[in-house]
Amino acid sequence: MAAESKKVLYGLYNDEEDLKGAVKTANAAHLNIMDVFTPFPVHGLDPILGLKESRLHILGFIYGACGATFGFLAMTWIFTSDWPIVFGGKPFWSVPAFIPITFEMTVLFAAWGMTITFYTVCGMWPGVKAKTLDNRITDDKFCIAFDVTGAPDSDVKNLQGFFTNTGASEVNVKMM
Amino acid sequence: MNLTNTQFVFEGKTKRVLIGGMVLGVVCLALSALNDDEYHTRFWTNFLHNSVYFTAVAFMAIFFLAAQITAFAGWMTVIKRIWESMGQFMLVGLILMGIVAIGVWGHLHHLYHWNDPNLNITDPEASHFDRIIAGKSGFLNPVFFTIATVGFLGIWYFWAYKMRRNSIAQDTHETASLDYYKKERKWAASFLPIGGFLSAVFFWQAMMSVDPHWYSTMFSWYSTASAWLGSLSMTVMLIIYLKSRGYLEYVTHDHLHDVGKFLFGISVFWTYLWFDQFMLIWYANNGEETIYFKERMEHYPVLFWGNLLMNFVVPFLILMRNDNKRKFGTMFFVALIVFFGHWWDYFYMIKPGARTAAIEAKELAEAGQHKTGQSTTTDTGITTVLSTAAGEQADAGHAQEPAAAGEQAKEQPDATHAAEQPAGEAPHGATPSEDAVAHPPAEHGGEAGHGASHGEEPGSFKLGFTIPGLEEIGVMIGFLSLFLFFFFSQLQRASLVPMKDPYLEESLHHETGAMIESEGGGHAHH
Repeated sequence: MAAESKKVLYGLYNDEEDLKGAVKTANAAHLNIMDVFTPFPVHGLDPILGLKESRLHILGFIYGACGATFGFLAMTWIFTSDWPIVFGGKPFWSVPAFIPITFEMTVLFAAWGMTITFYTVCGMWPGVKAKTLDNRITDDKFCIAFDVTGAPDSDVKNLQGFFTNTGASEVNVKMM
Repeated sequence: MNLTNTQFVFEGKTKRVLIGGMVLGVVCLALSALNDDEYHTRFWTNFLHNSVYFTAVAFMAIFFLAAQITAFAGWMTVIKRIWESMGQFMLVGLILMGIVAIGVWGHLHHLYHWNDPNLNITDPEASHFDRIIAGKSGFLNPVFFTIATVGFLGIWYFWAYKMRRNSIAQDTHETASLDYYKKERKWAASFLPIGGFLSAVFFWQAMMSVDPHWYSTMFSWYSTASAWLGSLSMTVMLIIYLKSRGYLEYVTHDHLHDVGKFLFGISVFWTYLWFDQFMLIWYANNGEETIYFKERMEHYPVLFWGNLLMNFVVPFLILMRNDNKRKFGTMFFVALIVFFGHWWDYFYMIKPGARTAAIEAKELAEAGQHKTGQSTTTDTGITTVLSTAAGEQADAGHAQEPAAAGEQAKEQPDATHAAEQPAGEAPHGATPSEDAVAHPPAEHGGEAGHGASHGEEPGSFKLGFTIPGLEEIGVMIGFLSLFLFFFFSQLQRASLVPMKDPYLEESLHHETGAMIESEGGGHAHH
C-alpha cells in the first residue's frame, strides 16, 4: 500500500449511546463516515453503520474442513502404509483413535487460517506502523472519523457543526 | 414499561388436546403390557424410560436456571418463568419414580438384574452367586435405590419449589427491596452442588444399574448432558409455541439466539462425552465394559447411529450458522429433533440392558427348574470369565493375545449373523449346549449371540427394543402431554414476567450483537 496522506476530521464522544445516535444522524444527513472507533464492541453499531456480515467464519469452516481431512488422511497414511504399528491389538486403521487428532487438526487449521487471513486482510504484519487517530479511542472515547482530504471548507464546517450538534466532546483534524 | 399479555391462560382446548395425549399414552402403555414377555419388560422399560427422561428434563431446567442465577446472568430473566414451571414437574416425577421404586420392593418388574428375587445373587453359597453384583450390593439394593431416586428427587423438588416461591413472592413485594430475590439466589447457589452430585447417583441407580455388571465413570455426565439438551430443546419449542399464542412478545431473536448457542454448545459437549465414554472403553478393551458397546453396535445399530445423527450431526451442522439460531422455524425443527433424539438416547441407555436382563432372568429361572447340575453352569461361566481376565493380566505385554481378540471380534459379526434367526423359531428349551457355559451371555464378555438355545436371542430384532415401536411413540406422547399439562397449569399461576427481578431491564434490552441482514437491521423488536 502506498503511503498516501489523508486528512481526517474526527470527533470524540464520551458515551456509546451518544455515538450510536450520532451515527444515525449522520446516516439521515447522508454524511459519508470513513470509520468508527470504539474501545470495545458496541452492540447494534454494525447494522446502523451498514457493515456487511464478516465472511471470515466461512473461511474458518473451510480451513477446519481442510484440517479435518488432512488430519484424518495423514493418520490413515501413517498408520496403514508408512509406519504400521500394533497398538493394544487394535487394527491398523482404527478410526476411533484418529478422532482426537482429527479434531485437533480441525481446530489448528481453523485457528491459524483465520488468524492469518484476518491479519492479512487488515494489513497487519510484524513491523507495521500503527495508524492511530487518538490514543484515547482504545481507552474511554468513542470516535467518528470523516475523510476530508481535498474537501471544500464548507463541507468541513458542516461536519464540525454535525459534531457539535450530536454532543461530541472534542473535534480534531489529523493527517495520516 | 408496558408489557402486555403477561398472564398465561391455559385454555380449555389445549387442555383437551393434552388430556387426549395422556389417554393415548395410557392406551399405548397398556398395549405394550399386553404384548409382552412374562416380566412385562416392554411395559416397565417404557415406564422407566419416560419417567426418567421427563423428570431429568425438569431437573435440568431448574438446575440450569440455578446456574444462571448464580452467575448473575441477566439475559434469561424474560424466560425464567418457563424454567421455573418446567422444574415443578419433578413433583410428578416423584410419583413416577415412586412407582418404579415400589416395583423394586415388590419385585413387580425385572428392570434390575441385581434385584432378582429368586437368584440370591449376593449369597456366596447360592448357586447363582454373582461376585460382581455382590461387590456392588451396598449400593445396588432396594433401600439405596429408593433413597437415590425418590429421596433425591424429593430434595430437588423442595429446592425447585423454594426457588419458584421466592421468585413469585418478589413480584408482589411491596417495597423496592430485593429480599425475595436474594433468598432465591441462596436457594439457587446451594442447589448447584446438591443437584450436581446427587444427579450422578440418581442416574447410576435409575439407568446405569440396568446393566449392573457394566460401569462407566462418564455415564452420569453423559446422561445429565443428554437431559440438559432435552431441557434446552423443550425451552426452545415452548418459547416459540408461546410466542405463536401471542405471549412473550418481548422475547426476541436475541434471546432465542442465546438459547440456540447453548443448544449448539451442549450438543457438542454431549458428543464429546459420548465419544469419551466410547473411546476409553474401546481402547481399554476390558471384556465387561466393551460388551456394552459391542452388543449395541451389533444388535442395535439403528439406536446407536441414530443417536449420533440426531444429537450431533443435525444440531452441529444446522446450528453452526449464526442466522439459523435466530430463525423460529429452523430452531423449532432442530429442537424437535434434538428433543426426540435425547429421548432416543435414554431409550438406547435403558432398553437393550433391560432386555438382556429379562432374557437372562428367564434362562436362569428355567435352568434352575431343570436341574442343579445345569444351573451351576452359570457359576462356572462367571468363574471362567474372571479367571480369563486374571490370566490376561498376567500375560500383559503379550501382543498376540489382544491381536487374536481383535481378529475374533472381526469374525464375530458373521458368527452372530449365522446364529440369528427369528425369535419365535429358536428351539425352545433345548438342552444347553457347550456354549451356554459362557452365559449369562451378554454381561460376562461371552459371545452375545450364544443364548440361542433358549426362547429369545438377545440379538434378534424386537420391536420396542431394537427400535421404538408405535406404542413407544404413543407412550412418549402421553408423557409429553402430562409434562406439558403440568407445565401449563404451573405457568398460569404467576405472571410470565418476573416484574421486580433486578435483571428484567437488562433482559428486555438483551442484544447478542449478531448482525443479520435478512432481519432488516436485526433490531426491529425493540
